[in-house]
Amino acid sequence: MSAELITELVKRYSPSEQESDAVRYLVDWMTKNGFEASVDTVGNAVGWRGAPDAPYTLMLLGHIDTVRGEIPVRVEDGILYGRGSVDAKGPLCAFAAAAAQAVIPEGWRVIVAGAVEEEVTSSKGARHIAKTYTPDLCIIGEPSSADRITLGYKGRLIVEYTYTRTVSHTAHPEPSAGAMGVEFWKSVQDWAAHENENHERYFDQIMPTLQSINTSSDGFNEAVTMMVGFRLPPRQGPEEVVAAVSRFAAPNSELRAYGAEKAFQSDKNTPLVRNMLAAIRAQGERPGFVYKTGTSDMNIVGAVWGCPIIAYGPGDSRLDHTPNEHLSLAEYEQAVAVLRHFIEHLSY
Amino acid sequence: MSHSVECIECGASLSLPDNVMQGEILPCSDCGAELEVISLNPLTVDLAPMEMEDWGE
Repeated sequence: MSAELITELVKRYSPSEQESDAVRYLVDWMTKNGFEASVDTVGNAVGWRGAPDAPYTLMLLGHIDTVRGEIPVRVEDGILYGRGSVDAKGPLCAFAAAAAQAVIPEGWRVIVAGAVEEEVTSSKGARHIAKTYTPDLCIIGEPSSADRITLGYKGRLIVEYTYTRTVSHTAHPEPSAGAMGVEFWKSVQDWAAHENENHERYFDQIMPTLQSINTSSDGFNEAVTMMVGFRLPPRQGPEEVVAAVSRFAAPNSELRAYGAEKAFQSDKNTPLVRNMLAAIRAQGERPGFVYKTGTSDMNIVGAVWGCPIIAYGPGDSRLDHTPNEHLSLAEYEQAVAVLRHFIEHLSY
Repeated sequence: MSHSVECIECGASLSLPDNVMQGEILPCSDCGAELEVISLNPLTVDLAPMEMEDWGE
């Protein structure tokens, strides 16, 4: 039953802002499988099981959009190929299938949400859900592999740096706009290397990336425009990074920051983690913890809700956004079994 | 139920609190290894899950 769900949902190609066909399919599936389900006001698929007035709520928050790049959907030797099979329709469908199969414990309501626009900086779906619900426990649907629990995601920041100067003869010793841009980038790299001293884990490091550098000239003025991305550790907020790198900006340059998200790291000793460890062990597996260098909707809702939160789902996240994205259906079924066990043994 | 258990890393005897829970992660006071309580009856510990790093999302 659940393999059909994931296969059919992956067939409904749903890049960000074009999720409606997939959302309708998931809502229909949940309605036919014991959920109260509907499309909410921003386009998310939302379904719930259990008592509507239950004192405790478990939120299973996945996302239904994908990055662009349609991959022909096929199943070969138990492997499902297709865009979103890993990131993150596999985890989302595992949530829905497990919640459909589980006997919901008394006192609990289980919500499954397929949020829109996770893969773009708007995060529209998760921001709406963050304002609408106040769960007691939350699992974010992202690939961790069926035997691992994700405890944290790094923060993120994008800085656009523009420097413009009057054109001079190339024989003039003054550095060109392009050279000034390179100087800015080298200063950022040196600063990050200094800040990263004594921090061995990638999760604890500031990771700058030069995403683009372009020069232009109209004969009177020349300019350099650079995009610098940062992956940030919990100790360094986006505002602090903007303040730090502003010191390296040349006079009369412009520095614009956007896409800012703080890192989020969960505690290992929560009822959520304890019960998930037991659920993984109940399937005969040895659990592991993982910290991710990317971001997810955990960065959005984690700070708002302040409840125990992890990310979990089948799949190898190294396949995220790649042309070879694929998911083992056996691992998918294993994740469904883990989640079903977890739901049926909910405690707080 | 006994509240004493042997660290599987260094063999030290550990006293666990009365309200210890299944899945709880506790450090060994001798060697510092993190241990996970995988059963309450009988009280059993295993090495806590390894911490790994990955990218994605």
